[in-house]
Amino acid sequence: MAAVPLPSYFVWLIFILPYVGTVAAPLTGKGRVRDAVAVLFPLLSALFALDLLIPVIRGDTISLVNSIIPASVPWIPELGISFGVLSDPYTVIIANLVAWISFLVMLYSVDYMKGDRGLTRYWFFMNFFIGSMQLIVLSNNLLGLFIGWEGVGLCSYALIGYYYHDETENWVGTPGSTALGEEQAYPPSHAGMKAFVMTRVGDLAMLAGILILFVFSGTFNYHDLATSTGWATALAASGLLVPVALLIFGGAVGKSAQFPLQEWLPDAMAGPAPVSALIHAATMVNAGVVLVARIGPIFYFALASNPALIQPFFMVVAWIGAFTAFMAATQAMVGFELKKLLAYSTVSQIGYMMLALGLAGLSTNFAEGLSAGLFQLMSHAIFKAALFLMAGFLIHLTGTKYINEMGGLKDKLKITFSIFLIAAAALSGIPPLSGFWSKDAILATAWGAGQYGLFIVGSATAGLTAFYAFRMLGLVFYGIRAKPGGGDTGHEPREPSPLSWVPYSVLGVGTVVIGILGFFNLGNFLQASAITYIYSLFSGASFSTLSPTSPFNYTSSLITIGFVIMGLFFSIQLYVRRKLPPSRIVGGSKLAGGVHRFLENRWYINAVYYKVFVNAPLRASYWAFDNLEVGGLERVNDGARALAMWFSAGGNWFDRNVIDLVSNGAAGSGQRLSRAFRRLQTGVLEQYALVLAVGLIILLLLFLLLSGVRLLI
Amino acid sequence: MEFILAAVVALSAAALGSPLLQAAGRRLKASAYASIAALVVAIAMVAANTAYGGSVSYFGRLLVSDVLGDLFALVVLSVSLAVAVVSVYSSHSSQNMPSYYSLLLFSALGMLLLSYSADLLMLFVAWELMSLPTYVLAGFDKKRAESNEAAAKYAILGALSSAIILYAISLTYGVTGTTQISGVVAKMASEPFNPLFSVAILLFIVGFGFKMSIVPFHMWVPDAYEGAPPAVATLFATATKKAGFVAAIRVVLAIATVYALAPNSVFTLANVFAVLAVVTMTLGNVAALTQKSMTRLLAYSSIAQAGYILVGFAIFAYSQQTGLYTYNAVLGMTGSLFHIVNHAIMKGAAFLAATLVLIQLKRSDLDIYNGLAKRMPITAFTLAISFLALGGIPPLNGFWSKLLLFLSVINTPLAWVAVAAILNSAFSLGYYFWVIKRMYLDQGESTERVNEPFGFVVIFAVLVGLMIGIGLFPQQFIAFAHAAASSLFT
Repeated sequence: MAAVPLPSYFVWLIFILPYVGTVAAPLTGKGRVRDAVAVLFPLLSALFALDLLIPVIRGDTISLVNSIIPASVPWIPELGISFGVLSDPYTVIIANLVAWISFLVMLYSVDYMKGDRGLTRYWFFMNFFIGSMQLIVLSNNLLGLFIGWEGVGLCSYALIGYYYHDETENWVGTPGSTALGEEQAYPPSHAGMKAFVMTRVGDLAMLAGILILFVFSGTFNYHDLATSTGWATALAASGLLVPVALLIFGGAVGKSAQFPLQEWLPDAMAGPAPVSALIHAATMVNAGVVLVARIGPIFYFALASNPALIQPFFMVVAWIGAFTAFMAATQAMVGFELKKLLAYSTVSQIGYMMLALGLAGLSTNFAEGLSAGLFQLMSHAIFKAALFLMAGFLIHLTGTKYINEMGGLKDKLKITFSIFLIAAAALSGIPPLSGFWSKDAILATAWGAGQYGLFIVGSATAGLTAFYAFRMLGLVFYGIRAKPGGGDTGHEPREPSPLSWVPYSVLGVGTVVIGILGFFNLGNFLQASAITYIYSLFSGASFSTLSPTSPFNYTSSLITIGFVIMGLFFSIQLYVRRKLPPSRIVGGSKLAGGVHRFLENRWYINAVYYKVFVNAPLRASYWAFDNLEVGGLERVNDGARALAMWFSAGGNWFDRNVIDLVSNGAAGSGQRLSRAFRRLQTGVLEQYALVLAVGLIILLLLFLLLSGVRLLI
Repeated sequence: MEFILAAVVALSAAALGSPLLQAAGRRLKASAYASIAALVVAIAMVAANTAYGGSVSYFGRLLVSDVLGDLFALVVLSVSLAVAVVSVYSSHSSQNMPSYYSLLLFSALGMLLLSYSADLLMLFVAWELMSLPTYVLAGFDKKRAESNEAAAKYAILGALSSAIILYAISLTYGVTGTTQISGVVAKMASEPFNPLFSVAILLFIVGFGFKMSIVPFHMWVPDAYEGAPPAVATLFATATKKAGFVAAIRVVLAIATVYALAPNSVFTLANVFAVLAVVTMTLGNVAALTQKSMTRLLAYSSIAQAGYILVGFAIFAYSQQTGLYTYNAVLGMTGSLFHIVNHAIMKGAAFLAATLVLIQLKRSDLDIYNGLAKRMPITAFTLAISFLALGGIPPLNGFWSKLLLFLSVINTPLAWVAVAAILNSAFSLGYYFWVIKRMYLDQGESTERVNEPFGFVVIFAVLVGLMIGIGLFPQQFIAFAHAAASSLFT
């Protein structure tokens, strides 16, 4: 293992180049040059990423040489914060995934988005999106990560709401459908806002967690956090260790759409298909995984003397992952909107990644879970990007977003069908494709760690996954076309232009290649990368050696394959061979119908959120403004006026009999002045002065009450 | 000190000379250019003082030249300059332009002197010199009823607050026998508790709180901002408001270093500031969400921002009383001062953008902002960036100052303030995004391009550049705020 010197600006450029593209593309007019520029910068960024990947594949370590931009620059000296980049194998692999999938998605967009009016806006946000994601991946500190994190949030808002004219065809959900009286179909701009607000909830928890961590440690830097671990002891002593870790994890729950913040992702389908591909495969949802992969090892090894203290955190992560995986998989089994089904599937697959990262802290070898998570991220990113790009094409082609209106496309679309088959098989975890190896690594880790509960949930979910994957495949490609002559043109369906099918075919081939590499110990290679990553975090500190272990065991694999075969059997019978119309099952019994409705309405979680968190506070806010800021004052003012009248009644007598004689002249001019001011809404002015006075009086009264001063009366 | 005197002379000369230009029958715009030139000179002088002047006092300690004063003077003069530039374009100043600029410069002079005041009497004179012209400026659209109304309300309530400050000064003099702030501090250092003096401090808070727009002394703000000519509203929101803060720092925080409001009780300065901070930011944000007019929305958002700035005051007072958390106090005051600078930039940009919309489209309700990005792209972009910055989105400048403020209290007994501030910050994004959505996504009544005058574009470019530039490279600015904050700790 040799150390390969590379100039540090290579790493910086990976995230700077897309940002440059953000600005450069809109400056080049509105023609093909702009499109070319917009795709060029992600490509350059990906090439720099590749430069880093080559030594990693060779098994060498990268040592960054300060060149043009140092590997780490001082940022805010007052707080001792500096900003730098990472170059360990784990980071490099994720950066390459992000870079190359993003590039393919951008390439696909050239044709897919051709002629769209808002294309400049599209390129702007797509490039910004990629740059921000790479910032998350490459930053060597939590603050840099947070900045990229917010950038990703902003872009997701803009891109999900891309079709902001809200034409009905771009809505997500079937307009008119409701659950618990809450509308279940959303226009794109609503979906964008929903994504932003919902992930924001998680971000808030994360920001709080990061700030508390900073207060205890004085640093945002991963390496500093890992090497000087006094903060962990202090946090543990005050009982905050697990809460802080969970707060930070909250950010990951939001961005990666895990329970209970998963509801934004299915509706994020309102954006264009390449945006969905980017969000689901390369960027946004993986951000949460990256975050957990950063803080997980730090929290785990920080208390090397007593890792049991942090175990509850990993337990929560693992169970949230497993539960989300299961729940989303059940939701993907019903419903017909193609992209929405893929979205449920993403939520479910990310759940597996969280499960893996949680298991890392529950097993004896941390790197085992960490690398299984990376493996799953890798295989999922590739096949899911392919599926989304194909979904975009299929929806364009057939003119419908519902898979039950597609059907019978197998023979017309040979390339698309075969790639779809590969991707669906990989999603199902059929050996020897990529999805099999990554899922197997996770479940074997669970088995090896003795977490049989987690194992069973994960394993059964694999069966559900196989079911919904082939349900999709069957409905889209088998049977007869339910809507003959449908689509934009009414022409016979045919393959898209190469600019569309080449990107997803490349991804399909990638899925197969990873599957083959699975036989050649890709898992062990990833584990070695994870170990090198952990070492690089803790370099300079005394650290026990991690030795690679093989998680593979036949029992867990066979159980999972059993579940997968069961799922496949039902799915193929129902949707490929069409032995029995599924409506007969759903309509056949009350129970089946109820379960179906429950799943279709997303376990009613979405509807309840709207009731409790959207509509109620909105009403409360208006109520507060009307009653406190406006109405309350009216009431106070009325009271004051009554009081004043009472005083003035007494004063009146005095006034009439004494003052009048003296001041007839003065009163006359006073009246004129008063009339002049009455036109200026004197009522309001008097209220304002009253509030000011009341504020002062309250302050003084509190002072008298609380300070213990006795008045000398 | 020569530099500050030069700045004072430049401003006075232009302020007095401006009406003379009119009398001499010169072109009206000459007064505008003379005022802009005077402000540029004054800013250059203050900058020179920052670079070369030390910490010195003069006129028998009436004025003191220090980093804190430099920071505030730079902020208020720069805002005045921006207001002076854009006022060239607004119709309301065309008839009586020389008087308008004269009043503006007198107000700027008052703020400049206030920044360096070291004596309560000097402070009060500067305060009035700053305030009186603004009462007239608020009513400068004399044919428009709203403008007159705003002026009347502002003047009456302003007079009330001035009276309160004056009463506080007289109480202070009665207790300590001096009006020099350092003298007051020295005197009170040996006296643990005096109820009259405590009352004086509370009166100071109320009086200054009026200008700082702290709830519940904020009621005039939305009306005055809405009624006043928009460029003048910018001055209120970003400059005279800052004057309230510098006065509070110079007087109340200086006293806080030696004197507890009420010993052995929960009624401490720290708690007063903390409660006012939370109430102010919460009410500002909640009310902003329901506004239908841009000026009122900005007014409430400005109130909310005052709440954030107070967070640093609270932790400063807390650390001075307990002798603990000094590091947090430095951090908090750095955050407060940095946020004051940032707020001037962010809110200045937002207000000027709203000003241009009002000038060109004659409306300020939120509906006119629908589809604004197509009609006035530069203005819409400026407004969007300033809203993102106000919302604390990294890496814009507002993020850093809020971060410092949150960090300063999160590990202290005032952590609840941080929680409230973080929640508020998230909540406020709701209405900021709502406006951005309107401008970029919604369909407007028209898509016709509207002229964006050169002077505005230059100012917008500078302000957007500052918001992004400070956001990316905050080091120098934090260092400046840090130096100013450190000077408070003696």
